[in-house]
Amino acid sequence: MSEIKSESISSLVDNYSPSTDDSVSAHLIDNMLKDEHLSSTWQNYHLIGDVLRDEVPQSLQFDLSKTIADAIAQETTILSPKSSIQTSAQAVANSTDLSSDEAFVQNTETKHSSNAVIDATNRFKARVSSFVKPMGQVAIAASAAALMIVGVQHNVAENPSSITPSQVVQTMPLAGYANPVSFSLQSAQNEPSKLQNQKALNEQLVAERVAQQRRLHALLKDHNQQVKLGSNIK
Amino acid sequence: MKFSALFLLLVSLNTSALAAETESAKLWLEQLSKSLRELNFTTSFVVVKNNQAEPYHWLHGIGENSQELEIFSRLNGPRRDILRQGDIVSYIEPEQEPYSIISQSVQSPIPTIFRGDFSELEDNYRFISVGRSRVLGRVAQLVRIVAKDKYRFSYWLWLDQQTGLLLKMAILTRQGLLLEQIQFTHIEVSEQLSESLVQFQSTELPEIIKLNNQKKNRVLAWKVDWLPQGFAVIKSNQHNLNSHNQGENKAVEFMLFSDGLVEISVYVNLSQENFRAPEYASDGATMVFNHIVQGIEVGIVGDIPLTTAKKIAESIVPATKDNAINNVQRSVREQQDD
Repeated sequence: MSEIKSESISSLVDNYSPSTDDSVSAHLIDNMLKDEHLSSTWQNYHLIGDVLRDEVPQSLQFDLSKTIADAIAQETTILSPKSSIQTSAQAVANSTDLSSDEAFVQNTETKHSSNAVIDATNRFKARVSSFVKPMGQVAIAASAAALMIVGVQHNVAENPSSITPSQVVQTMPLAGYANPVSFSLQSAQNEPSKLQNQKALNEQLVAERVAQQRRLHALLKDHNQQVKLGSNIK
Repeated sequence: MKFSALFLLLVSLNTSALAAETESAKLWLEQLSKSLRELNFTTSFVVVKNNQAEPYHWLHGIGENSQELEIFSRLNGPRRDILRQGDIVSYIEPEQEPYSIISQSVQSPIPTIFRGDFSELEDNYRFISVGRSRVLGRVAQLVRIVAKDKYRFSYWLWLDQQTGLLLKMAILTRQGLLLEQIQFTHIEVSEQLSESLVQFQSTELPEIIKLNNQKKNRVLAWKVDWLPQGFAVIKSNQHNLNSHNQGENKAVEFMLFSDGLVEISVYVNLSQENFRAPEYASDGATMVFNHIVQGIEVGIVGDIPLTTAKKIAESIVPATKDNAINNVQRSVREQQDD
C-alpha cells in the first residue's frame, strides 16, 4: 500500500481531487473498488473526518455495510416464472457469446446442466404459482367483499336509520283507491257470456268503490278538521 | 344459587342501564320541546308517505312581547299554510275560507306534544336514547318513543346534538315497518328573528271563528267500550259529516280521543244498510276504517294500527239501550228540519 495512494484517497475524502485530471481520480476510485484495503482506508478516513467534525451518531455501527451485504447474501433468491425464463435465456446467450473461450464454456455448461433440473422444477413451481396466484387474489378479493357485505349488513342491523331513508312502505293496500279497474276487469274475463250483466255489475262495483273512497275520504277530512278544532272543547 | 345471584346481578345492571338510557332520552326530549318553543329557526322538511314526498317550510321565532310566531307552509300543490301568533292559529286551505281559532295545538306534520310536556306520554310510551348518527350533515341523537302496548305505533326522533331540534322523524309499526317519515333538508338557527317572520308579525290574521255550530251538550247515544290504555275523550259532539256527495250531509255522533301523542276519531251513525264489510285505507300512518254492523255505521280514524281500529269499532255499544236509537233518529230528524 503506497503512501501516495492513501494520500490521494485522503484528499478525495476531503473533496479535493489530487490532480486536475478527472481521469486520475476516476482511476483511483476504480482501484479503490477493487482493492479491499483501499476501500477500508476510504471508510476509515471518512470516519476520522466525521469524528473531527463531531458528526458521529450516538451509537456507532461500524460494520453497517457488512451486515447489509450479509443480509443480502443470506436472503433466498426469489424465483418468479419470468425471471427463470430470463436467466435461462441469458445463460444461452452467455454460452454463445463466450464460446470462443473454452474454459468459460465448460464452466457455464456444467453450471447450465446442473441448473437445468432446478430450472425445470422451478418453472413447474412457477407455473403452478402463476396459476394459483390469481385464484388466490380472487379468493382474497371475494373474502374482502364478503367481509364488506357482512360489515354493511351488520351496520344496517345496528343502525336502522340507514335503511329508513330509501324505504317507503305503505302498510295496507288503499282499499278505496287501489284496484277498482283491475278488479272489475278480472270478473269480466271470467264470464264473457253474460257480458251485459257483467257490465252492469262492473259499473255497480266501480260506483261502490267510488262511494267507498268518498266515505273514507270524508272521514279522514273530518278527522283532520276536528283535530284542528280539538282543543277548543276540552 | 351462584347462578341465580349472577343472573340477578346481570338483570339489575341491565335495568340500571335501561334507566340511564331513559333518563338521557327524557333530557333530550325536554331539550327538543324547549328548542321548539324558544329558538328562532328556519327549516325545510319533507314528509314522506304513500310513496310521495311533500315539502314544507317551517319558520319559528320569538317576536315582540315574547310572542311565538310560527309558519308552516306546504310547498307543492295548492297553498296550505298554518300561521300562528301566540295562541291564534290560522289555517289557509284550498277547500275553505281562511279562518283562525284560538288553540294551543297546531295541526301540522309535527305532533303538538313535541312542543309540550313529554312526561304526559310516560304512561303509554317508553323513551329510549339509542345512539348517535349523522343526519343532515350534523351529529344526531336518536331517541325512540316506543309504545308500551301493541295498539300504537312507535316514533323515532333524530335530534340535533347542538340545538336539540328535530332533524328527522319516523313512524314505525311494532314490527319495524316504516309508515311515514319526516326528513329535514335544511335547518338554520339564528339569534335574530328571520325576515319573513318580522313581516308576518305585523300581518293581520283571518277572523277568529266561534265554534257554536257544534251541539256539544247532548248526551251521546253510543259509547266506546274498549280503547287502548291511556286514551281519554277530549271532545264529543254531533255534527254533520260532509261526505262530498252532492252536498249530502250525514249526521254523526263524534268522539275524539287522545293519548297525548295520537288522536283517534270515532264516528257512529245509523245506516239504512244492515251490513257492510269492513273497509279501510291508510294515509301514511293514519288509518281510516269503516264498517256497518247491525245497521250501525262506525268510522274510526287515527294514527293507529288496523287491529286497534277494528277493535275499537267492534266495541261500540249503545250508551243506554232503550233510547239510543231514538236519540239518533231524533237528531237525524232535527237535521232534516234544519
